[in-house]
Amino acid sequence: MAEYWYYADGFEERVQEQLHNNPEAEVDLDFAIPEKDFNTAGKGSSELKNLLKRLGVDSDVLRRIAVASYEAEINVAAHSKGGVMKSAVHDDLIHVRFEDDGPGIADIEQAMIPGYSTADDLVRELGFGAGLGLPNIKKNSDAMHIVSDIGSSTLLEFFIFFG
Amino acid sequence: MNRPDSKYFHAIQILEDNCTGCTACVRVCPTEAIRVRDRKAAIDPYRCVDCGNCVSACEFHAIIPASDPLDIIHKFKYRLAIISSSFFGQFSEDISYAHAKQAVKQLGFDEVAEEASVTDFMIKMIREYIRENRDKRPILSSNCPAVVRLIQVKFPSLLPNLFHQEAPMSILTRFLREKISTEMNLPDEDIGIFLIVPCVAHVTAVHQPEGAYKHLQDGAFSTGMIYGKVREIIKDVQNNPIPIDTYPHGLTWALSGVQAELVDNEDIRALSVNGVDNVMDILSRVEDHYLDQYDYIVLRSCTNGCVGGCLNVENPFVAMSRIKKMIKEGDSADADIRELEKLYQKGEFNVSPLAPRPIMELDKDIKKAIQKMKKINEFLTMLPGLNCSACGSPTCYALAEDIVLGKATLDDCVVLKRKPTDLE
Repeated sequence: MAEYWYYADGFEERVQEQLHNNPEAEVDLDFAIPEKDFNTAGKGSSELKNLLKRLGVDSDVLRRIAVASYEAEINVAAHSKGGVMKSAVHDDLIHVRFEDDGPGIADIEQAMIPGYSTADDLVRELGFGAGLGLPNIKKNSDAMHIVSDIGSSTLLEFFIFFG
Repeated sequence: MNRPDSKYFHAIQILEDNCTGCTACVRVCPTEAIRVRDRKAAIDPYRCVDCGNCVSACEFHAIIPASDPLDIIHKFKYRLAIISSSFFGQFSEDISYAHAKQAVKQLGFDEVAEEASVTDFMIKMIREYIRENRDKRPILSSNCPAVVRLIQVKFPSLLPNLFHQEAPMSILTRFLREKISTEMNLPDEDIGIFLIVPCVAHVTAVHQPEGAYKHLQDGAFSTGMIYGKVREIIKDVQNNPIPIDTYPHGLTWALSGVQAELVDNEDIRALSVNGVDNVMDILSRVEDHYLDQYDYIVLRSCTNGCVGGCLNVENPFVAMSRIKKMIKEGDSADADIRELEKLYQKGEFNVSPLAPRPIMELDKDIKKAIQKMKKINEFLTMLPGLNCSACGSPTCYALAEDIVLGKATLDDCVVLKRKPTDLE
């Protein structure tokens, strides 16, 4: 099992505290992400964005969440056998988890390099697979965590604070 | 919520006597601004962006586009009409562009100007603006007032990306008001400047301009109304023609696709989008930074651009085809744009930064907003999820939101009322 953590400056403690206390989310929003279904992929992040607009989340923060969740959603559709997107909205942050049914990431460090991609021809034909997914999620989040078991499944989660 | 209705003017009127409460308008509104309560439709002025969808959807003549009556021109000594570039696509091919223009003049104007005469200048100005504002990518066109309002209410984070310069008809208004005042030695209040417009959003913009620093037009006439009056006198005009300048090449302004092609250049990549649903989809993707490869996006709320406006008489595809024919076959008069360029350099066409008018927020305080969201979700589980609009709200979600905001009750759900036991 391979694990990867990223924290933006000053966020490690806040994220660990969040995980430790594990408070119940104020609002939950779950979406299924079917394998290679690019017609519906993106719907989950679009709905999430509408929810956050209703909550009045600052527009710059909102745009970061939108980019990170869209990239992660497309990643699951393009590279996995399908999975789920689970958003937990708290009053000061959002925690989004993507759990898929495999096949797992062989080398996470390599996957984090901008431009590196294992996307197949179908995915590339559809205009995805430029190798910017994970780096873009990292760039836009305050913390990102990946746990991957080759041959089994991947969990990707990110945290973005509202203020 | 108690909101003063007078804050936002809209050029859409509901005739209660004609309204049957059918909810056709409720279902086509892109900002969910309409509710039917007690079998009558009402528009929330804060949410309405004047797209005109409801006007087209209403089969009972209950939603009427408002525009000014022609006789208001007699209040002014000197009368100028500025014609929107979609206007000439309305006429069948036996009525020439020049004759139609002459007929407009003979309706009582001293001078007739055309939006199309400044298209070349607009393209030049847009390109310069894009090059000067590379940090705000992509630049979004601001000519369509419905799009500007849509961004204010639903995509406020994109306001800085809007092209912050006056629209062509307002630029012409500025320029010609000054010119007439000097040449004819007339005070401002004696000069009446009127637009002939294809849509309600432009009527609203004349009566409530966004970001304008100075007094602009004195009224807006519907293309359909002027079309009818032109038809009445066209035979006489055809028998007594006078020489008149036309600008067929500038008519591209009425077609969003052609306009984007004109702005497109070696260093500028342009995209054209029309139809309010497409516009919303694209704006959402701009918000996600997925269209950052474009430098400029032409956005028009109506099908094919201004030719699709609800005050037009001709089908937008037929009108587009006619305009394309005129562009191909006609000779344009030379429009001197040097004066306009000088004014642009002086910043005369700047508009003040456009302010957000967010409608999505449930509450200013995020904690309270979350509480309201939880309640909405609770009500949502009680509702049947048919999105039938029979309650007068567009969807079950909208009804749940209305209930939480105190604008409706669970009793409004027609389905729940009918089968109270089945849904236990």
